[in-house]
Amino acid sequence: MHDFSYHTPATLAEAIALMQADPANSCYLAGGTDLYLALEHGAAPAGVVIDLKGVAGLEGIVALPEGGWRIGALTRMADIEHHAELQRDYPSLCAAAEVVGGPPIRNRATLGGNLCNASPAADTSTPLLALGTTVAVSDGEQERTLPLAELWRGPRQTTLAPSAVLTAIMLPPPAPRSGNAFQRLTRSAMDIAVVNAAVCLALDEAGRVASLRVALGSVAPVVVLVEGLESALAGKPVDEAACEQVRSRAQTAARPIGDVRASAAYRAEMAGTLAMRALQDAAAMAGGGS
Amino acid sequence: MSAQGTLPLQITVNGKPRTTQVEPRTSLLTFLREECGLTGSKRGCEEGECGACVVMMDGRLVNACLIFAVEAAGGSVTTVEGLGEAQHLAPVQQAFIESGASQCGFCIPGMLLAAHALLQHDTHPDEGAIRRAISGNLCRCTGYDRIVKGIRLAAELQRGHA
Ligand SMILES: Cc1cc2nc3c(=O)[nH]c(=O)nc-3n(C[C@H](O)[C@H](O)[C@H](O)COP(=O)(O)OP(=O)(O)OC[C@H]3O[C@@H](n4cnc5c(N)ncnc54)[C@H](O)[C@@H]3O)c2cc1C
Ligand code: FES
Ligand code: FES
Repeated sequence: MHDFSYHTPATLAEAIALMQADPANSCYLAGGTDLYLALEHGAAPAGVVIDLKGVAGLEGIVALPEGGWRIGALTRMADIEHHAELQRDYPSLCAAAEVVGGPPIRNRATLGGNLCNASPAADTSTPLLALGTTVAVSDGEQERTLPLAELWRGPRQTTLAPSAVLTAIMLPPPAPRSGNAFQRLTRSAMDIAVVNAAVCLALDEAGRVASLRVALGSVAPVVVLVEGLESALAGKPVDEAACEQVRSRAQTAARPIGDVRASAAYRAEMAGTLAMRALQDAAAMAGGGS
Repeated sequence: MSAQGTLPLQITVNGKPRTTQVEPRTSLLTFLREECGLTGSKRGCEEGECGACVVMMDGRLVNACLIFAVEAAGGSVTTVEGLGEAQHLAPVQQAFIESGASQCGFCIPGMLLAAHALLQHDTHPDEGAIRRAISGNLCRCTGYDRIVKGIRLAAELQRGHA
């Protein structure tokens, strides 16, 4: 590993000033579960490491006055998977946090790091996209919010300016009669996902589809939403025909690569299957809650 | 702010405060093994996969191979050497011996710490909880059954001790 200088700014302004001094040669450090190995392999800028863990206000899970939750970017997976209210309202997110590596990884890995690493296989990205999450980003002077989908440019690439810090992840309040669920396929428990899927479904008073978002991971350069599903199924019951629509549209929307873990065709087929299973789980939750 | 070179590091290791200097690129694992002479934490995969290196840091189980020692500044680290003493083993250590949980032993320091971390907040773990707690620790010898038995016994011993 190359030598580097190490900094522990206490404020966001300090962190960003450090980054702006030499952006091409500097990187932000959160839990380090991706970055440590990237530095080791020379895949990340190596001269200056700016540790965000000491920056005030970046960690924690708080209920928003207008409903929904704000999760600080530096909040660790272990604190998300066990959070009682998140488990109740956003089981898809907790289920994804719970499968990121083993317990020691989840004691370090942060939610913001999972998103900023911008891997198409990042497990929490899929439920967060389905949930309609927005993220808060700071450039040191002001914080702006953007839909999560606008955070990613491609594999391992975000749209953020080099000095920008992801500060928080905002979960919208769950709609009445809604449910959400996460499904994941791996070769073994500790491996990264071959494919994963998440569904967020809300029903109207008659028990028919009011809104529906289906997200897929590991099937495209970034985590993607399956398009056209909500308009196709709005006002319809979640029956076998709806499940089949979700399965076939998810399979068609998947544009995976084939690699050592799975062939492209198998990934696409499993994307459909997992999306359908997640729909069934989400429907059970939405129906059970009314 | 710091220049390149070494940084001062204050850290408590197994209850003893230490003040020293480290290069920022030194991993916590290298620091513990080479600076502190605590070779119980093993160098396995060095990629976060095997758990041979895990230690408790500020009350949480973590992979020492993925952490820079400077990130532990001001904190407190417990390695397997800090769990008990030869004359006074910790319940997890006693239980692993009685259960025959160890074969080659390479994974055992990490397993002991994972068990210790579990028993801190769950005094009656069921088999599922035990298997989840050691899911970040690989063992190439035992097939895990004796390790699971050892952790169940450790929970009993610990309840007896309490
Ligand atoms: C053994 C092992 C198993 C794993 N298993 C899984 C798995 O099953 N599923 C999965 O999804 N991931 C897995 N990972 C990957 C990793 O743990 C996660 O992606 C983790 O959430 C990354 O978070 P971190 O805090 O460690 O990020 P870091 O490694 O600190 O940072 C990752 C990247 O994001 C940037 N960054 C971090 N925080 C911010 C911020 N707030 N603002 C701007 N930029 C930021 C960093 O500069 C860096 O480029 C695994 C890793 C290991 C080592
Ligand atoms: S050596 Fe750290 S996890 Fe394998
Ligand atoms: S006893 Fe040999 S690796 Fe576990």
